[in-house]
Amino acid sequence: MNIEQKIRHTMEQVAELSQCQLVNEIDDDTVLLQSGLDSLGFAMLVAQLDEELGFDPFTQMAIPVYPSTFGEFVSIYRQYSEKTRE
Amino acid sequence: MQLLHRLKELYENADNSVKGELLEASSKPVDSVRGPNLNTISLPRIIAEAELIRAKEPHLRGATVAIRYQGLNDFVRLLLAFDGWCGALYLLPEDDAPQLPDDCQCWAGLQSDVKRDTALPEGQHVVTHWYIATSGTTSKPKWIAHQLAGLTASVRVNLEQMPLRWGLLYQPFRFAGLQVLLQGLLSGASIVDASNGDISRRIKVLRAARTTALSATPSMWRQLLLSGELETLSLSQLTLGGEIADQGVLNMLRARFTEARIIHIYASTEAGVGFSVSDGKAGFPEAWLKDGYYGVKLKINAHHHLCIKPLQLPKSGIKNRMDAQGYIDSEDMVEIIDGRVYFLGRAGGVINVGGNKVHPQLVEQVILSIEGVLSARVFGSKSSVMGSLVSAEVVAEAETELAALKKKIIMQCMQRLARYQVPVRIDFVKQIKTNETGKIDRRQLSE
Repeated sequence: MNIEQKIRHTMEQVAELSQCQLVNEIDDDTVLLQSGLDSLGFAMLVAQLDEELGFDPFTQMAIPVYPSTFGEFVSIYRQYSEKTRE
Repeated sequence: MQLLHRLKELYENADNSVKGELLEASSKPVDSVRGPNLNTISLPRIIAEAELIRAKEPHLRGATVAIRYQGLNDFVRLLLAFDGWCGALYLLPEDDAPQLPDDCQCWAGLQSDVKRDTALPEGQHVVTHWYIATSGTTSKPKWIAHQLAGLTASVRVNLEQMPLRWGLLYQPFRFAGLQVLLQGLLSGASIVDASNGDISRRIKVLRAARTTALSATPSMWRQLLLSGELETLSLSQLTLGGEIADQGVLNMLRARFTEARIIHIYASTEAGVGFSVSDGKAGFPEAWLKDGYYGVKLKINAHHHLCIKPLQLPKSGIKNRMDAQGYIDSEDMVEIIDGRVYFLGRAGGVINVGGNKVHPQLVEQVILSIEGVLSARVFGSKSSVMGSLVSAEVVAEAETELAALKKKIIMQCMQRLARYQVPVRIDFVKQIKTNETGKIDRRQLSE
């Protein structure tokens, strides 16, 4: 599974757990706060990804941008995982 | 002095730079293209309308009255009319209110029918008791009494603050929102009602009203950042409070608002004091332990709790938490790193999930009631999004199917607790760490 698939999969798990209904089509331009996850769901997603991937890009405050769309969110995780692999 | 008189004094003596207004969106749905229409009303007009209510309803002097929030203009008008007029003023929450006293009258607008006279003699001074409902997240909601003097103790009026337009993100019938509202009003600022709707709607209202100042919890700030629209506001004052402000959120706000004044506030209700830090760094300078903060003395005790000696002796209720030198234990854990004092969390293990307090014992009780669970420990784990999240360690009975048990625990917690109280992470362990006295060790905030 690549990072994007992993994030999508985790999103679905978190949504089920937190009784949120995800919107049907989540693409790169979907605004995170309109994806169906609320802020608590979003916090759960980041925590769950930390458990699975072993990192949380938002605690390492090296990142100057804060994601607002799904595409930006995925790209931050992708960038971070490439950086840790180097 | 009552709220009405304080505001009248402010506006009668003020020069033209003080032009406080109340702004609220005029209709619920916000037009996504044009932005919301705003109702704007000046404070001098609200003051006049409050006086009219008093004139038309003289029998409410000294009475017990409950009011419900139905928009900012209406709410402020009633606060002005009834503070210093009614004996008791209950601010009804939108959901389940605690029991009201039998003699309480719920305000339903001006009544033109019967005119009764007040029972109180003319000229008698009334000090209103304000009642605010607790949110009932940890126990049944209850009424807490306040007085205006206490609610506005930390209001600082200075000319620099005059032209601010405060965005109100909290519900004004709760403690945090009421404080933002009262502080704004008494400093001559305008108030923009953004206390309801989703983040996107709130930002639209704030932007349309040209808001210049915002106060929010760090978790709320992260949510505003997440919207991608925060940058569209021209803020000159940003305040963080109610939770520990970490360096990350401070940096992100600084990067977007390079010229603004950004402060984070620490408040100890126990000691009745608070202080604000404005140097853009998390925590506060270690030097304050030596020099104090405007006369308030600070120290760290043997348990790494921050202890505070306020200027005035606090109410008798917390005398037992005072040491021989008069310091009060704030129950907030701190550590010193490189000349800076950082907050770690609450000593009692209370977990702060985005501004909502979670008592671990409450969650533990739910988990412990489930068949197959031997023992459980609930604690806060740091979250880069919400400050803290609830985590649990569980010891299961031998030969229990763990995946099924985990599901059962989550289902039970979902049914019996608020969403933010439900553990987001459950780990099965062989045993739970306890301290010397055999109790679960709650001194450390888990990483």
